[in-house]
Amino acid sequence: MRVVALYKWAPNPQDAQVDPEGIVDWRRATEALSEYDPVAFELARGFADLTGAEVIGVTAGGSAASSSLARKTVLSRGVDRLVLVADDRLKAADSTTLAAVLASLIRRIGQVDVVLAGVSSVDVNEGQVSMTLAAHLGWIGLGGIRALEATDQGLRVDRDVPGGRETLTLAGGAVLTTVADAAVPRRAGMRDILAAAKKPVDVVELDDLGVPAAHVVVSRVATSRPDNAKRQHVIVEASEPAAAAAQVISALRQRNVL
Amino acid sequence: MSAAIDTWIIVADDAAVGGLIEFARMRAGRLVAVVAGRKSVADEVATAGVDRVIWLGQPPEATPVEAFAPEVARLVGEGLPRAVLGPDTTAGRALLGAVAVRCGGPVFTRVSALELDGDRVVLTRILFGGIAECRESVDGGPAILALPSGGHVIATGIPTPVEQVEASPMTNAEVVDRRSAELVSVDLPSAPMVVGIGRGLKAQADLTLIEELATALGAELGCSRPLAEGVDWMPKERYIGISGQHIAPRLYMAVGISGQLQHMFGARDSEVIVAVNSDADAPIFAECDYGLVGDLYRIVPALVAALKTPR
Ligand SMILES: Cc1cc2nc3c(=O)[nH]c(=O)nc-3n(C[C@H](O)[C@H](O)[C@H](O)COP(=O)(O)OP(=O)(O)OC[C@H]3O[C@@H](n4cnc5c(N)ncnc54)[C@H](O)[C@@H]3O)c2cc1C
Repeated sequence: MRVVALYKWAPNPQDAQVDPEGIVDWRRATEALSEYDPVAFELARGFADLTGAEVIGVTAGGSAASSSLARKTVLSRGVDRLVLVADDRLKAADSTTLAAVLASLIRRIGQVDVVLAGVSSVDVNEGQVSMTLAAHLGWIGLGGIRALEATDQGLRVDRDVPGGRETLTLAGGAVLTTVADAAVPRRAGMRDILAAAKKPVDVVELDDLGVPAAHVVVSRVATSRPDNAKRQHVIVEASEPAAAAAQVISALRQRNVL
Repeated sequence: MSAAIDTWIIVADDAAVGGLIEFARMRAGRLVAVVAGRKSVADEVATAGVDRVIWLGQPPEATPVEAFAPEVARLVGEGLPRAVLGPDTTAGRALLGAVAVRCGGPVFTRVSALELDGDRVVLTRILFGGIAECRESVDGGPAILALPSGGHVIATGIPTPVEQVEASPMTNAEVVDRRSAELVSVDLPSAPMVVGIGRGLKAQADLTLIEELATALGAELGCSRPLAEGVDWMPKERYIGISGQHIAPRLYMAVGISGQLQHMFGARDSEVIVAVNSDADAPIFAECDYGLVGDLYRIVPALVAALKTPR
């Protein structure tokens, strides 16, 4: 069996600078493994350890996705090998294009039984790519996954749905996004990092995938920086908690907040 | 009417799509609802003043709504609307993803406005968790939007007839067990006072301290995501942020919360923000009205005492 674990090597917008025209400068935001992807790695690893499956990390990203740091970070967290595209033309690609690239990468792998993904990425944070990927593959896409196990016929999964939980049986391929607390990701130790350096990485050229251009043409007309509410920024060093608390509560009372 | 955008709304077995219908109605074009799921859902949507309701038929009890994705995509592909709206839930995203593949365009999220500029559809949306905003024109296919679905639909007179179409959902997924969870009924979005607690809390038992503060303020209790999805000290319904609840209280008091943008996105509409944090460099101090720099274990009891002191 083969399990694909999707991941994204992405910057945290918390560290980006935005000018008044809404142009985002990412230079201070270093890319890293997106926060919730290791949850999917962990579920995939647990499943693979019980079934003898192989865990293949798959990503489509900018050139940094192929850096040795990126490779080691992923391969030291329970992933057996990587298949990836790293091309700066993908940096601003939309969810449907990224999903198309991922779908052709997955098809190149051959027989894949299930695809797991984190809930959403740290930068774009839409949770859409995995669900669109399911459509590209002609598979069912399901969110809220907490657990999965192999059965004679295929898979059994547990998931969160509004108002409760569900158990489903699946036959044939599926793309599953995990909830943030489905598993506690491992910390990579020195041995994991050393072993990672020896694991195979298949870097595929974007142009070799022959992903067709989108029909829908999206043109950016304008950008801006949202102006958030003006705040007072009264910062009190509270070494005397009673006095500091009284000061803030009295200010709130004066403003009729309380 | 030239300034109208024909819009299709995708319903994923949940009739609470009042927000989607309201959003679509601002553009005053023809409104078509495509309903995947139970007949009762189609019947309820039919009361909401839409022009057509297309229902994909009663699914077998065990079929998850996501199994209808290819059929929803086929119908939208044949109908060729200018805009397609669906709920920004995982089920909604699965249906919209199939529409996106069929139409060859992206799914847009966090869209605040959709309008016609001449003959072009133009949308306004925020990027990267709210750090920037953009306007984009969409040509050559529908603008596909995943939006907060809003509350229940508002019934408006005579229901639209429900048109049933032949549809065959995927058959490889079966629900074999459903368990309903204990209902957590909390209405953070409309709470006038909210206290939020984060990873600055050292132990679950210490929540009593925060509850005392909430009681003294008459506030609802909220939290950051790691407290609800991580250590599980709080129910999921109580975490605030881009992936959780959006609050707009008169006062938000954030205690032991660093103020990462994913959290603050859900709190920005608060009228006044008070932060308690031991790290003077925590990002939340750049986004608050009043900041108390210090140990929450000393400051929270002091706040409770100050609140109990008459003005
Ligand atoms: C795609 C994505 C979506 C996300 N969505 C959300 C979301 O919707 N909501 C959300 O909340 N998060 C979300 N997050 C997570 C978010 O990025 C932060 O990790 C999270 O908000 C941090 O929670 P926190 O502030 O409680 O914890 P931390 O960042 O660990 O902060 C704890 C704070 O407590 C302070 N502290 C420690 N001890 C004390 C003490 N004794 N007294 C006072 N202060 C103390 C520390 O100085 C620190 O600032 C998301 C992340 C990603 C990647």
